[in-house]
Amino acid sequence: MGLVDRGRMPAPLTKLFNMSRSYSLWVYQWGLACCAIEMGAAFGSPRYDVMRLGVIPLPASPRQADFVCISGTVTDKMAPAVRRLWEQMPEPKYAISMGSCANCGGPYWDSYSVTKGVDQIIPIDVYIPGCPPRPEALLEGVVLLQQRIKNEDMAAKWRGDEFTTQQATRERERVAAAPAVQAPTTPDREPIVVGGGPIE
Amino acid sequence: MSDATDTDEQPPALPGDGLREGIIDDLRNRIGDAIVDTHITPNDDLWIRVQTDAWRQTAEALKAAGFTFFSFISGLDWMPSPYGKGEDDPTAEPKEPDTEIRQGVTGGDTRFQVFARLVDLDRHVGVTIKADVPDEPFAVESWTTVFAGANWHERECHEMFGIGFNGHPDLRNMYLPTDFEGYPLRKDFPLLARMIKPWPGIVDVEPMPVQDEAPDDAPAVEDGAS
Amino acid sequence: MTNLSDRQQLSYIASQAADARLNVELETEGMTLNIGPQHPATHGTLRIICRLDGEQVIWAEPSAGYMHRGYEKLTEVRTFPQVTTLVNRIDWLGSFANEVPFILASEKLMGVEAPPRAQVIRTILFELSRIANVSLFLGDLGVQMGAITPVFLAFRDREYVLNLIEGATGGRFHPNFDRIGGLKDDLPKGWIDETRQTMVKLRKFCDIIEDLLFGNEIFQSRMRGIGIIPADVAKDYGLSGANLRASGVDYDLRRDQDIALSYDMADWKVWTHPDGDSFARCWIRLQETRESCKIVEQLLDQIPAGPIMTKVPRIIKVPEGEAWVSTENPLGEMGYYVVSKGDLGPFRVKIRSASFNNISIVPWALKGVYVPDIITILASLYFILGDIDR
Repeated sequence: MGLVDRGRMPAPLTKLFNMSRSYSLWVYQWGLACCAIEMGAAFGSPRYDVMRLGVIPLPASPRQADFVCISGTVTDKMAPAVRRLWEQMPEPKYAISMGSCANCGGPYWDSYSVTKGVDQIIPIDVYIPGCPPRPEALLEGVVLLQQRIKNEDMAAKWRGDEFTTQQATRERERVAAAPAVQAPTTPDREPIVVGGGPIE
Repeated sequence: MSDATDTDEQPPALPGDGLREGIIDDLRNRIGDAIVDTHITPNDDLWIRVQTDAWRQTAEALKAAGFTFFSFISGLDWMPSPYGKGEDDPTAEPKEPDTEIRQGVTGGDTRFQVFARLVDLDRHVGVTIKADVPDEPFAVESWTTVFAGANWHERECHEMFGIGFNGHPDLRNMYLPTDFEGYPLRKDFPLLARMIKPWPGIVDVEPMPVQDEAPDDAPAVEDGAS
Repeated sequence: MTNLSDRQQLSYIASQAADARLNVELETEGMTLNIGPQHPATHGTLRIICRLDGEQVIWAEPSAGYMHRGYEKLTEVRTFPQVTTLVNRIDWLGSFANEVPFILASEKLMGVEAPPRAQVIRTILFELSRIANVSLFLGDLGVQMGAITPVFLAFRDREYVLNLIEGATGGRFHPNFDRIGGLKDDLPKGWIDETRQTMVKLRKFCDIIEDLLFGNEIFQSRMRGIGIIPADVAKDYGLSGANLRASGVDYDLRRDQDIALSYDMADWKVWTHPDGDSFARCWIRLQETRESCKIVEQLLDQIPAGPIMTKVPRIIKVPEGEAWVSTENPLGEMGYYVVSKGDLGPFRVKIRSASFNNISIVPWALKGVYVPDIITILASLYFILGDIDR
């Protein structure tokens, strides 16, 4: 589309695409440890059903997944597999880090074989704390991800930028379009130097 | 707690108590002087320490005596850790770390020991067998010819402590990546995360409360309330 | 084997030789199949490297360590209550069951015993965690073979048990409820009646699973006669729990050892099975779940009144010594060898986890089986990765 070449998207189209994307997510469950059971309870059990949010839990392969939910401890031995999985997923892709082991190493923060947080390997969109987080907490994380997707500027993604919200794009355009503001040149006012320097 | 019962002393006759002495006597008949020390907690458990070059022989003897269930093999490093926990108050004086190597039950002469557990399923009794690991050569015999399940346990013990197992078919890493350097379960292997940054929730250790009395460091209440 | 005539034998040999020649020409022999570490069928991150000849396995080697978190090193730098918290996460499906042997070993070293009320409630929670664990196993059994429905039933019924555990301890998983000297808290009001109702539901679940799965002829043909493990091999490798009892060995640590849990207050049975095949292992676990429901119901009627915790100092320093306690956990025999030097924390803890031994038999058990049987044999051996890798 010509829109892609110009790097812009009309707002109604963005809104429509974002809404349909956020309500038709396919999640790849990368369940490693105890959080995988809570993830299974959230995704596969009739009580904390995740399909009512529009998220379908079992894709056939990571290449068909929209986002990955990394739940459980990531060890140094497993980290290359996580990275390879992330690279196999096609854009647009998101990641949820579930549980405190995936967030920051968790109860094994001082272990010699645990990666202290999966965000050292892949970029994470939503962190869900807990050990393990209740299935309702995971569902809230999914809802937050959906809100994030709804705010996203798709054109930025097509340009290859990192995740950018629509508000941020609008702000950047406003700043770029505004006339350059002159720095204040009043001679009797010295700028304040943070951390040192004379302050009157 | 429980006292170490010497095999020469007759413990008071409790049901099942002669069982463990009988096991030691039977083993002594089979392997003779290789038994260095024993320890029995009455009606509870049995420890035997053997000489290092009788390690596999002990396994064969015990298997013939009825201990056919293999539980585990692992190692012990008796040196106190020089690093502590990383939870000391950084403003206080650093304490002198304890460097004395004290082996536990049934004693020992070396810093490292291997220990294993076998169970007799018919008589419902288990035995813990220990042996010293000499510094040179830093190895013991492998149990894989006696108990096939020892294969994985010895691999794990090797990668965690560095203890060699002579006669093991395939001594490679069990858990750690192949390029891992160091032997993690040795006490001189530091946990780097604790060394880089001290644990912020430093526990203020109170003295142990004497039984049924108020603790000595109860804050003095000035306003007369008890 | 039926008796073959010489002529038949000769023609069989000739056809095998022809196949071998074909194999060499086409180089169809020896494909390496890598199952895992992320695979829907393995209960976690277990990687199995198989060398196949057509559809048959020549050798198989599990590669563990993808969930190795260094438990034994971490316990050396933690205090006893902190170790209790950590140790919950080894067998993450039946998590109260992990704390119990550690607490019992520490109590042995300290010379204290929990009061009777605490012992009975500990036993009840232990059995509830066994039910929670094995009910997921029963549901997952279908998934290993492609039958997805039982796992939804399992998750639903498991929620009832997790509600109970949460009602008593505050945590669905990882309750961290056991303390040296007793339990953290007493039971809430109405818990006992709710537990009774839940046991009725769980028995119904067992009946449904038996109906859906165990009578199914596909299940039977995929499980009967597959993965036979004779008793002496099982004992050599240290298989424990239902795996050992499926090979005909009558050994159950709940009955055969004298520790501070209240199994002698209930009237229950140990199930064994003479074949050592996959079906036997699964069937025994089903019966054991029913048996656990029975134990819980009987113990609920017999909870004595009294304190929930003995007098122990607030900051616990366990005296010097070594102790070993093992219990019949849902996965098998789990034991802790606790070495203490009189500090706030243990000096060394050796964790003998059941799945480590259960999976060490896989290279032996998978020789010569077909590829679909790999999954069912692993399913019937039942392991949790946290238990293998600690």
